[in-house]
Amino acid sequence: MASIELLILGLVVSSLIAYVLTRFKQVIGSIFTIFAVMFVFVSVAAFGFNMGLDTTVHYLPGISFSQSYLGFYFAIIIIFIYLMVSFFHPHFMDKYTYKNTYNMLFLLSLAGVIGAFYTDHFLNLFLFFELIIWTTMFLIPQGKSREAAVTYFGFSLAGSVSLLLGILLAFEQTGTLIINESLSTLSGSTGTFVFVLFLIAAFAKLGAFPLHLWLPIAHGHAPHPFSPVLSGALVKLGAFIGILALVKIFPTTQVFETVGLPVGHYVVALIGGLSIVFGTLMAIKADDAKELLAYSSMSHGGYILVAFSLFNSIAFAGGLYHILAHALASAGAFMAIAAVARVTHTTKISEMGGMIHKMPITYLAYLIAIISMAGIPPMGGFISKWLIFQAVIDQGLIFVGIAVFFGSVGSFLYVFRPLAALFLGQEFREYKDVKEAPLLILIPTAIIMGLNIYTGIFPKVFFDVINKIILELGFGGITYTTFTISGNNGTLNPGLISLVFVVGIVIAFIIFILLKKSRKVGLMDTYTAGNFVHDEHLFHYSTDFYAPLERLYEKQSHYMTKFYKALAEKVKELGTFLKYVFMSNSLSVVILLIMSIIIFVLWGEVL
Amino acid sequence: MNIILLIVIPLLVAFLSILVKKYQMMLLIFVALFNVIILFFLKQGMIFVGGYEDELTHNLLGITLFLDVYAVIALWVINGLILVIALLNIKSYQTYGTILLLAMAGLNGLVLANDLFNLFVFIEISGIAAYLITTSNKKPVSTFKYLLYGSIGSSLFLFGIVILYAMFGTLNIVIMIREIEALNDYRQLILPFLMMFIGLGVEAKLLPFNHWVKGVLGTSNSLSGPMIASVYMAATTFVFGRLITNLFQFEGSLLLVVTILLTVGILVGDLMAFSSTKVREILLFSSIAQSSIIVLLFVNGLVIWAVYLIIANALSKTVMFLVINHSVQKTNDDEVESLKGLFSHNLLVGTTFTIATLSLMGLPLFIGFIIKLNYLTMFAQQNQFIVMIVILLASLIEGIYLVRLLIKLWYPGDQKVEVKYHLAFKVVCVVIALSLLVFGTYSNPLNKLDHNIDEISEVVIHG
Repeated sequence: MASIELLILGLVVSSLIAYVLTRFKQVIGSIFTIFAVMFVFVSVAAFGFNMGLDTTVHYLPGISFSQSYLGFYFAIIIIFIYLMVSFFHPHFMDKYTYKNTYNMLFLLSLAGVIGAFYTDHFLNLFLFFELIIWTTMFLIPQGKSREAAVTYFGFSLAGSVSLLLGILLAFEQTGTLIINESLSTLSGSTGTFVFVLFLIAAFAKLGAFPLHLWLPIAHGHAPHPFSPVLSGALVKLGAFIGILALVKIFPTTQVFETVGLPVGHYVVALIGGLSIVFGTLMAIKADDAKELLAYSSMSHGGYILVAFSLFNSIAFAGGLYHILAHALASAGAFMAIAAVARVTHTTKISEMGGMIHKMPITYLAYLIAIISMAGIPPMGGFISKWLIFQAVIDQGLIFVGIAVFFGSVGSFLYVFRPLAALFLGQEFREYKDVKEAPLLILIPTAIIMGLNIYTGIFPKVFFDVINKIILELGFGGITYTTFTISGNNGTLNPGLISLVFVVGIVIAFIIFILLKKSRKVGLMDTYTAGNFVHDEHLFHYSTDFYAPLERLYEKQSHYMTKFYKALAEKVKELGTFLKYVFMSNSLSVVILLIMSIIIFVLWGEVL
Repeated sequence: MNIILLIVIPLLVAFLSILVKKYQMMLLIFVALFNVIILFFLKQGMIFVGGYEDELTHNLLGITLFLDVYAVIALWVINGLILVIALLNIKSYQTYGTILLLAMAGLNGLVLANDLFNLFVFIEISGIAAYLITTSNKKPVSTFKYLLYGSIGSSLFLFGIVILYAMFGTLNIVIMIREIEALNDYRQLILPFLMMFIGLGVEAKLLPFNHWVKGVLGTSNSLSGPMIASVYMAATTFVFGRLITNLFQFEGSLLLVVTILLTVGILVGDLMAFSSTKVREILLFSSIAQSSIIVLLFVNGLVIWAVYLIIANALSKTVMFLVINHSVQKTNDDEVESLKGLFSHNLLVGTTFTIATLSLMGLPLFIGFIIKLNYLTMFAQQNQFIVMIVILLASLIEGIYLVRLLIKLWYPGDQKVEVKYHLAFKVVCVVIALSLLVFGTYSNPLNKLDHNIDEISEVVIHG
């Protein structure tokens, strides 16, 4: 029997061992990390599915655990992403400034993840949350930018401060810190406050509008193997908090009759819609592949928010499945980019091209990941989006519906840009000697690729768990069989759709075989507008691909960045002003202040 | 053994040490060690030294000292930290031994005094020592300003005592508490209490009275920085706590004004630190915010967590000021930008500095987290929303600027910063960091002490 407490303690101890081993030899430390994460994954997977983990606590004072399908679902997804990413470490270690601490902090943050999802106590939840934040905060500056870590930490801390305030308010009213008891007995205006505060925390972690600014900065600049963890795994913490607020707090706001939703939930759905639209538009504009994927995470966070604000089983199923599908897809895409960036040392779309010849497997992994991300069958992302669409249409939410469909169409526009730029197109001279990623990187890439397809064809295994979560949350289960999922307006048959796709691919392949072979030409063997091409870089066709579209919102796209910059500037100015007020005055002013305080108090009470 | 030894021996040795100038620091270290050890054997309770009975009121006047768990904790912190700071500066500040002995006598007396006038005397003694310590900054103007502010503070404190004496005819705190309870009219006490609060507030760096801090700590060195920022701050906040918990009665508009002063102090301190680009300024402004939080905890009766916060803060600030001041002495520049990459070759010192900072910010695995969570929960129980919001908002600002500082210190910029730390330095930093870590993960011992560590109230009730 695996005990949660022992898993956490084991991770803490192994983080120290990993530090020592990495100091001794990087590769050994990294391989130890892989095994440590694998052990945790296997334990949680083996016992967690049937709620068989031991929740008793012997050594950690003040900490208590309990199991729920919701927590398990999140935990297993995130641990899986951690496991996949840990395979990357041996090949990336020598790029970091502080190599020895990387594995240590990585394992410590995983300990935080397990604790956060398995605890039933609010203060413990906060503890593990903060643990995750500060450990990961030290991992990010090992990448490209130092400032990125500060931005990440600032937004995350804003989220956790808001979470703590919500927790304390709930505690003040209900007198208990047990998560479920506290949330279910909340009422009145305190309930609304807690709802709002929890959602701020959720938005900050999920990177939803308007707290999204850290996503592109942190994801874009984090070390390459850490971006998949951030995007695929850690933003899901926000979804978890979002579920606590949206589903577990009994709605205290008025019901909006026309859409049949409480006003609070409707507003969240609208903000989710905004996140989808903004994320999509910004992703279309991005020039950095990782930044692009970060914005896409923002828009997918919007989908998750929309799903959980709709208050019905189909939407919940969609939202939960989307968490899985997006975790796999974005981890897959980020990992492919990481594999490419390892050899090209850049993630700028305009500086790469033609990698398909060198890295075909990575290409395939990326292709499949983005198909899932765009919600095209036969990948997992299709099923979840289908369910969310069903729920949104059923509820009659016009604006949210527009946003949801816009996001889906928009993701076609952006996810193929890195594909075309990185992998297809002209091969750059600089990358002539590049080779396919090493085996250790290909293993997780292939596994995630397989899972991306598997989730699109045989979703039953996952829906077994999801259905239990929905029942646990107090809603009716959804109808599904081995091959079909029933929505309100029809039945989806993922297996059949996949079969059609396979047939289509087979036919295309036959045509490809039968037709004449295409001729390979050199890069300079082309001309345009009557001129020969002398510099291939100029004709990279993914640069400014959507220039006319981008021009429509060119000016507006910097508003939020400017807003947060101005906010930081204003806080700084306020501080400078206060320094002037309190620190530069003369002695006489201080005496005046003291006298006025005394007079003020006496005036009120004695005189 | 008598508790008065804690005051008398440092004072005696201070005078003797003038004769043997070379061994001042040695003597100081011996005395500090003696004090730390003797604390194990001292019997708790109250003693009277000298004194006479006032014929009119039959109250005992003279020196009274009182030792309880609260005072023992305070004395350990003060003497232990002085010992550490002296050990680290044994070579660089040889001539300051006498002054540190004087400071030790004053601060020990401050904590032990059970007589308001004694308290004033010890404030003055420790104050004089503090002014002399700050002369090591070689900024006479700021030392002079400190002297002026300190005198204003202690005069106000004395003024308050005079009023109280005129009202009750006694200076003994225990007797006075009884008298105040019998009087049961707080409006008459507003003026003396407010004056004493402001007087101590000057020393404790509370907001509108702390102008001196910038000059003194902004140019501090490895002796004056930790002495003023951690030892003096710990001692004054301990005294503050004792007076607030037992003597002062904050009610009505007095409570409102005090709460506003403190909450504004928390926010303003962190905002000022946010806008600073010099490391020492960042640290000093953050300690303004921290001392406001501590006093606020005392005002709200959360004694035990305030005590832990004082200790955690004193430890963290000691490490931070030591590390920063040591490197500033080498680089002669305390702009964050010019200290970039300070830790890239000093991993051990960097790690301890990081642990101290994370504990200060209240992040899990470190003691600061447990303290912060506990006092915030207690504030929630008391329905103090605004205080909670202010503290959380301030901790957000604090988190951002401290992380910004940490990341800059870890990652090298264009120019190389080379600072060497000697072994003793590393040992001290590691021990402090380990204690922050150990009590942060194993917090059971913290819960053993309850809120009644301040035993004056028991004496008041049982005589």
